Amino acid sequence: MKKTFYEVTYIVNPVLEEAETKAEIDKINSFITRQGGEIDEVNEWGNRRLTYEMSGKQTGYFVNMYFTSPGELIVKLERMMQINENIVRYLTLKYDKKMLRHREMLKRGEVPNIFKVIDQDPEA
Amino acid sequence: MLKNPQHPKKGQLRDKQCLFSKAGLEYIDYKDTDTLRRFINDQGKILPRRVTGTSTKFQRQLAKAVKRARHLGLLAFVADNVR
Repeated sequence: MKKTFYEVTYIVNPVLEEAETKAEIDKINSFITRQGGEIDEVNEWGNRRLTYEMSGKQTGYFVNMYFTSPGELIVKLERMMQINENIVRYLTLKYDKKMLRHREMLKRGEVPNIFKVIDQDPEA
Repeated sequence: MLKNPQHPKKGQLRDKQCLFSKAGLEYIDYKDTDTLRRFINDQGKILPRRVTGTSTKFQRQLAKAVKRARHLGLLAFVADNVR
């Protein structure tokens, strides 16, 4: 089966207890592995302030993850997140070659700061 | 930009350059909100190309990145202080 690289960011309800949040994240992770996906990286950004109110909430617990999986999984995963009341919002991205190269750069910590260019060369 | 050395605007006009192409980026990340913030005004609107000098290719990507960041609540659709 053809596998593609994906990035998913989702916001978990910040009101949950720490253990409950963990359980939600585990639920998603195990769902992906069970359905034939391979998790590459999971980053928890923690509680962050939202710039606008989403379903009555001012903050959210952000989780950002990368994985490879067959495409059919995404439909199921998005449906699962849609139904789950503890997930306020999600964003799924399918990675293309440019994005993969960008991620390699990000991993190596070599993403160029575009504003450094201005500072070096004010007359540009 | 102006080839004529006697042109009255010589020295005043600056060549605009796309910062993204210049830095050699290929993809604009929605997670990098500090960068995105430089390309929106204080109301949260995306600045036009004529102001920032971004190339068409990257302006399209930039708009997409800003919209993704807005969806996740990383950037505002409308700034609070402006009513």
